[in-house]
Amino acid sequence: MIAEETLVQELKQKESRAQAFEVLVNTYKERLYWHIRRIVLDHDDTDDVLQNTFIKVYKNIDAFKGESKLYSWMYRIATNESLTFLKQKSKKLKVSDQELKDQMVENLRADVYFEGSEIQLKLQKALATLPDKQKLVFTMKYYQEMKYSEISEILETSEGALKASYHLAVKKIETYLKEN
Amino acid sequence: MRKDKNHSFNTPEGYFENFNERLMDNIKKQETEIAEPLIPTNDGFNAPDGYFDDVTTSVLSKTTEKETKVVPLRSNRKLYYGVAAIAAVFMLIFSITWNSNSTSISFDDLVSSEIETYLENNDLDMTMYEVAEIIPLKEIELNNIFSDVLEDDAILEYLNENVDDIDNLYFEDLDHE
Repeated sequence: MIAEETLVQELKQKESRAQAFEVLVNTYKERLYWHIRRIVLDHDDTDDVLQNTFIKVYKNIDAFKGESKLYSWMYRIATNESLTFLKQKSKKLKVSDQELKDQMVENLRADVYFEGSEIQLKLQKALATLPDKQKLVFTMKYYQEMKYSEISEILETSEGALKASYHLAVKKIETYLKEN
Repeated sequence: MRKDKNHSFNTPEGYFENFNERLMDNIKKQETEIAEPLIPTNDGFNAPDGYFDDVTTSVLSKTTEKETKVVPLRSNRKLYYGVAAIAAVFMLIFSITWNSNSTSISFDDLVSSEIETYLENNDLDMTMYEVAEIIPLKEIELNNIFSDVLEDDAILEYLNENVDDIDNLYFEDLDHE
């Protein structure tokens, strides 16, 4: 795999930009897809947000100063794009954020790209009750198997706070699954 | 009911006969719980077949089409000039006759209050960090308030507009005069 610093340099030079960008897309498309998918749930919405994320990265690469790692900068853009997408969707549909979340989970029943059983559907219902940040921390740790240090850089939160958030999320989800 | 000869405690009928069976059931149950945790390890999401192959092409087409294409003009230069001249004449005629009433809006036409309202009403949801990463500082004109000399009139105008009762202000310098 190409070193991140080299990739950033190539992305900033006009001659090598196109080729480097292709490498970037190929390297991160799957990871970012699953990150976005677990926030917006629907495949088509995920596709839109993923493409917007890459376009933003492409347009703003000159402004990237390398103060954080490239992947965490991209994850941050993907997270913000996803959350903004949901806010705009709830505004458009004139429903509250929570109503939208409940509706999204209900739509999963008919989703051909969701092969979840009843327990997995119940899990999504449990996740919909969590605050955004707790849900993010949980899915990044449990399903994306990211390290606390990586999540910390992306969400700009201390590792201690993340650990507390994660354990709280696990407890809430377990309680929900047991009670329902 | 079974009674211990040395104690007055009782156990339910058949308790010790069933004990091993119940213990083994319990161990098995606990092992299953470890192997299959309460929270499922797979959340059930799939992506369509071949999606990850197609998405690269899709993203790249959106970024490359924005690049300016260089078209060589040397060959058939006269033809290009001729076509361009005719097109320009047509555009001029159409713009005068057909679009005389229409106006094109550019970014400059927006008053700053409209931009502010847009920014306030649309949740951009960008952290300060992201804003800082995207907007390079060198492009923002910053005035150094310590080195710039502010005109007295400008200060008074600001106070007049922003302070309810200017007479109530305590002017330190005036007291010394």
